[in-house]
Amino acid sequence: MNFLRKLRPSSRESSLFIILVVAVGGTGLINPRFLTGDGTRDLLTSTSVVALLAIGIAPIVVMRHIDLSIASTVGLSAWVVADFCAKNPSFTWVQCFVIGSIIGLAVGILNGLLVAGLRLPSLVVTLGTLYIVRGVVYVVSNSVDYNAQEMPVSLLALGQKVYFGLLPFTFLMVIIAMILMAFVMKYTKAGRDAYAIGSNPPAADLVGLKVFRRTFLAFVFSGVMSGIAGVFYLMRFAQVDSTAFYGQELAVVAAVVIGGVTIMGGSGTVVGAVIGALLVQTIQGGLAALGVDAFWKAAINGLLLIIAIYADRVLAVRNEKQLLAQRIRERI
Amino acid sequence: MSKFAKLGSVRRSWDTAILALLLLVWVFASLTTSNFLTPLNFSYIFSNTSEIMIIAFAMLFMIILGEIDLSVASILALGSSMLGWSYAKGVPIWMAILICMLVGTVCGFVNGFLVTRLGLGSLAVTIGTLALYRGIANGLLGENTVNEFPEFWTSFGFDTIGNSFMPKTLPLIIVFGILFGLLLHKTPFGRRTLAIGQSPEAAKFAGVNVIRHKMIVFTFTGFMSGVAGVIYTFRFSTAQADNGVGLELLVISAILLGGVSIFGGIGTMWGVVAGVLLAGSVESWLTLQEINAQWRTIVTGILLLISVAAPVLVQKGKARRELKALKS
Repeated sequence: MNFLRKLRPSSRESSLFIILVVAVGGTGLINPRFLTGDGTRDLLTSTSVVALLAIGIAPIVVMRHIDLSIASTVGLSAWVVADFCAKNPSFTWVQCFVIGSIIGLAVGILNGLLVAGLRLPSLVVTLGTLYIVRGVVYVVSNSVDYNAQEMPVSLLALGQKVYFGLLPFTFLMVIIAMILMAFVMKYTKAGRDAYAIGSNPPAADLVGLKVFRRTFLAFVFSGVMSGIAGVFYLMRFAQVDSTAFYGQELAVVAAVVIGGVTIMGGSGTVVGAVIGALLVQTIQGGLAALGVDAFWKAAINGLLLIIAIYADRVLAVRNEKQLLAQRIRERI
Repeated sequence: MSKFAKLGSVRRSWDTAILALLLLVWVFASLTTSNFLTPLNFSYIFSNTSEIMIIAFAMLFMIILGEIDLSVASILALGSSMLGWSYAKGVPIWMAILICMLVGTVCGFVNGFLVTRLGLGSLAVTIGTLALYRGIANGLLGENTVNEFPEFWTSFGFDTIGNSFMPKTLPLIIVFGILFGLLLHKTPFGRRTLAIGQSPEAAKFAGVNVIRHKMIVFTFTGFMSGVAGVIYTFRFSTAQADNGVGLELLVISAILLGGVSIFGGIGTMWGVVAGVLLAGSVESWLTLQEINAQWRTIVTGILLLISVAAPVLVQKGKARRELKALKS
């Protein structure tokens, strides 16, 4: 009996997972191909970039901050990596990841210094760096595009690599990053500090948490993840121009929020963020299978986001009431 | 003497600094570019900033309240798409214009409803409605554009009054500017807006109906975005789903540049007007210098960072001076 109770979806993640299973099953009913190995592989491949970015910004959102510059960083990293590869044919996937990470690191340090160092609101700062980084892509790219023939064979081969017929290499990396970050967020001091900072920033400061260092590192982490996501972008599309991944930052924020990471900070997990990314992608796939025009994609994303925020709010209110009831019961 | 001291404090405030900065940019630009200080160029500046100005008047109240509306550009696009779509379907033009403004008002109302009645955060909600409204515009028009409009209205969009430097839209903008300026600085409504921004709790206990107040501000921000949608449609003579992409960020950066605090409670109308004109003038100068359009994205970003960092740095400097004065 106890065992059954444990199975009951008590956490946000397990209920999300059930919704995900239902969505995948429903889509499978309309389009049986969706449930095959090929379908799963396609879903996972197309989710990899957003899922990796979701892992990157989840700690930031937990800390009641936001990073809107991620999509521009993906664009910059993807273009610069392709540029280096085109000029150095001897490069393999190793150099690609190194260059991508360094670019992400640079943007992350800039964001971190402005937000944590000067204590400026992250929304405005990262809005500014969103522009600046995208502007840098425009200027350096000078309208030059790169295609598959300019990219290292080893990188593209890695992008095609699939384990057990359904797990692409990129999503395997996502899972590894997810497990590592889930561990960090749950069991290390840095992770617990992130939740404390997000729940009540002034209090976290007053009790002497290292708010500057934690915030700074969170932005650096998000930057590096965006840089790597840029390489993932190349592996998936094998082509890049200056508008690569333009305007996708809100899709990532939507995935994270749908995954139960509250925009008000202090709650949510990395696992939830990844499930949120998968859910958004599945619903998009399902609607495409239903024959809904691709033009409605943005509208559906927006609607999903609003529903997720509302669900969050309802759950929070219910939780608060339960806690209050418990306190009153203790007084009886 | 006391009057002199008051002048000193005014001089030090950011929105006066921005006015000085605006004049400085004008002087610098007219010295470096021969055709900057011409009536024609100023008509371009006024006309290019018209939608930003119109939305900024309302968004000023929003940011003073401590809320934010990121969906304004999407409301503009949805209104514009509805205008074009309904006009193409044979609806008379005046009716199509009313529809555009009505759509804006409804969108603003929906934002307000989600934020105040359901108690959701305005940042998250308007990121959602940003996608939602533009998505509806996308679904409605797809890749189609409507660009056949009556000449009377397109001339309203991009002609000037007679041979003067004033675009035909300028009187409308001035009227709105005066109305919203009076509303903020001379009415109880404006005082309440500032009070809520300073402390929502205190305002509530002082008897301000915070929820209704926010509802009104969200709704008229939507309405003004609809008005901006009308102007945008006729200025470019196009109604399409990707009208004004990213405009929300330009509006916010111009407002912050105008000395409005992103934390709420502080802001003036003339600061915002100066902020919008400053951003527009820098843009115009870059164009006249034939600096690559690609660089402008970077300049916008840097302006935004300056606008948010400068007041903080000024505050820090002030605190440091006070500390010094205390020690000596």
